[in-house]
Amino acid sequence: MKSFGQNVAVAGVDLEVRAGSFYGIVGPNGAGKTTTLSMITGLLRPDSGSIQVHGIDVWARPNDAKRIIGVLPDRLRLFDRLTGAQLLYYSGILRGLDNETVRTRSADLAAAFGLEDALNRLVADYSAGMTKKIALACAMIHSPRVLVLDEPFESVDPVSAVNVTEILQRYVASGGTVLLSSHGMDLIQRVCDHVAIIMHGKVLAAGTIDEVRGENSLEERFVELAGGRKVAEGMEWLHSFSD
Amino acid sequence: MVAQFLRLKLRLLANLFRRSPWQVVGIVIGLLYGLAVAALFVAVLVGLRFVEDVELVRNGMVVAGSAVVIGFFLFPLVVGIDDSMDPRKFALLGIPNNRLSLGLALSALIGVPAIALALILAGTVVTWSRGPGETLIAFVAAVLLLATCTLASRVGTSLAGLLLSTRRAREFSGMLGLLLLVFMAPVAVLLFNVDWASNGPDILTRFAGFLAWTPLGAAWASPGDAAMGEWGSSLLKLLIAAASVYLLWLAWLGLVARMLVTPGREAAVRQYAGLGWFDRMPSNAIGVISARSITYWSRDSRYWVSLVMIPIVPVLVTLPLAIAGVPSHYLALVPVPLMCVFLGWTMHNDVAYDSTAIWLHVASGTRGTADRIGRLVPALFSGIVLIGLGSGVSIYLYGDWNALPSMLGVSTSILLAGLGFSSYTSARFPYPAPKPGDSPFAQPQASDTASALIQSLSFVGSIILSLPAIGFALLGIFVDPVWHLPALYAGVGMGVLAVSSGIWLGSRVFDRRGPEMIASALRA
Repeated sequence: MKSFGQNVAVAGVDLEVRAGSFYGIVGPNGAGKTTTLSMITGLLRPDSGSIQVHGIDVWARPNDAKRIIGVLPDRLRLFDRLTGAQLLYYSGILRGLDNETVRTRSADLAAAFGLEDALNRLVADYSAGMTKKIALACAMIHSPRVLVLDEPFESVDPVSAVNVTEILQRYVASGGTVLLSSHGMDLIQRVCDHVAIIMHGKVLAAGTIDEVRGENSLEERFVELAGGRKVAEGMEWLHSFSD
Repeated sequence: MVAQFLRLKLRLLANLFRRSPWQVVGIVIGLLYGLAVAALFVAVLVGLRFVEDVELVRNGMVVAGSAVVIGFFLFPLVVGIDDSMDPRKFALLGIPNNRLSLGLALSALIGVPAIALALILAGTVVTWSRGPGETLIAFVAAVLLLATCTLASRVGTSLAGLLLSTRRAREFSGMLGLLLLVFMAPVAVLLFNVDWASNGPDILTRFAGFLAWTPLGAAWASPGDAAMGEWGSSLLKLLIAAASVYLLWLAWLGLVARMLVTPGREAAVRQYAGLGWFDRMPSNAIGVISARSITYWSRDSRYWVSLVMIPIVPVLVTLPLAIAGVPSHYLALVPVPLMCVFLGWTMHNDVAYDSTAIWLHVASGTRGTADRIGRLVPALFSGIVLIGLGSGVSIYLYGDWNALPSMLGVSTSILLAGLGFSSYTSARFPYPAPKPGDSPFAQPQASDTASALIQSLSFVGSIILSLPAIGFALLGIFVDPVWHLPALYAGVGMGVLAVSSGIWLGSRVFDRRGPEMIASALRA
């Protein structure tokens, strides 16, 4: 539960994410997705409630919890005056890895995300998609048990998105847990095995993809839960062009 | 169309007040200050109406006025103000270029600088109201000047927007502005040393005589010439002024047309081989955090500005003292401790400089001690060099090597105490700083006045904690040299105590308040 002044951003989100699942959170803008994920990763103090990750209470034993979580926040800056290589190294060492391990893992991650050519450039000069990819690489470098990714595919090009999805799927297959948020229903339906629909800070539906969507596609179910589509009437002027 | 632009600008100004109460207070104070300064100038100008020495008034006005015109042009270029009426924002509306340019130029008249200028120009009309002809010319000149300054500032802002659209160019322009300020210092000293009583009017006449025939000063000189009875040169200067307004207008038209079809400039991207400082530092949390700090000190213009200021401040302080006649061998003792004050203080808002990137430290569970110590490393290293070399040079100039322990003690105490305060305040009371990539001068309004106040106290705090060392040092210099050694012990002891307790307190705060630091960075 979290509120900002009068605004209740998250009003009691009760989610159970099983270890080894690929869990998607969807919801319209301002639904409380980022707020929820920030509280799970220890970046935003909840007003009440508790968060357990592999049996560790995130807000009671933050340092133990943070060790097993990898984070990709949305809309927070990176230390972007570092080069890509420096940023990876920085994240790795801060996560407690040793010199050798960080260097080999950095090289692996750069190859996997197609960032080899960009490693020696400042992150400030990266495009939005590349920034997202280097941040993803930083989130994974300490091989956490749980990856919490806020909008990981936003502005990432389709080829890289497929690449990233594959990496994440292999990670889940080997026992890791991925919790991600997205606007892209198609993508969630394709890659996730579980999904929760959040709106106005509440969970409207949660479960396996098939349980949640029933007969329909996820997108149709989502629109239905969101209170139906507003039929766009009275826009006839748009069809008679002004010149 | 023009009316809409004016309304838009009014609306933008009105929206300035729809912020937090403290920001509104800041804006109101800024407005009142601007109006008060304008009112002061108007009063002076009205007073000048009754001065008989017309030539002196004219010359003074030409020189001061030319500076105003240059200021309107250069200020946006150097400071890089955020342009709410950037022509590019209207690019998609398909407005004909002439009307867009006119609307934007006229809307620039609504704003504190333009209104203050208009008031002052009205004052100049009063100054020259010594006859119907003079008044008329003064009025025309005032209108031309208002147009000149408005267009000059629009052209300056747009040039800044067009040329400085890349990250690196913006940073360099900020530095350029600072260096410009630095080079102003010798000029100021030169001006101080002129014997104004005897040579003043002469120099002024020479300057004004030149400026009056340039676009900068022509309009300022024209009514004065008329008052002196030189109608021919008065009209000629009015013509020059009108022509320069026209040329500026053409430049503005051209710039708008150019900007509408020019997206941001692409910068050549630089490659950095290897890990730089990260290779040279130990691979643990303290090592990488200090490597990151050192890297930022060398790559981020916001740090450059504070670093460049450190050697400038002693110059600015000692010069007036020297002119006032303080013996130079005492002055030699001032710079190093003073630079230590500022070096210790540079770190006082370090967390805010990271902006929201600090999440990485929070999410990775970085220990507060590692963060605190790592950030201090660059300041400590440069401090050791500064104190080591600086003290030697200072004492050499002072001439008595017995004072060396005092110098070392006082400087060490000030630096370490400052770093101690900074370690605590940067974690506990971060206040809004320029964001990464912004102009180092774009200091955002501190919405939380209390924390800004506490930050300033930390500046004084380092000096207060160093009072024992300073006291012993003064005794050593003025009473008995045996006091020099106690100054060293007191200084080093107090410094070590202050920096270690600062780091200890700061670490605890850092460990506890991680989410709150992110929240404050998000608010900034």
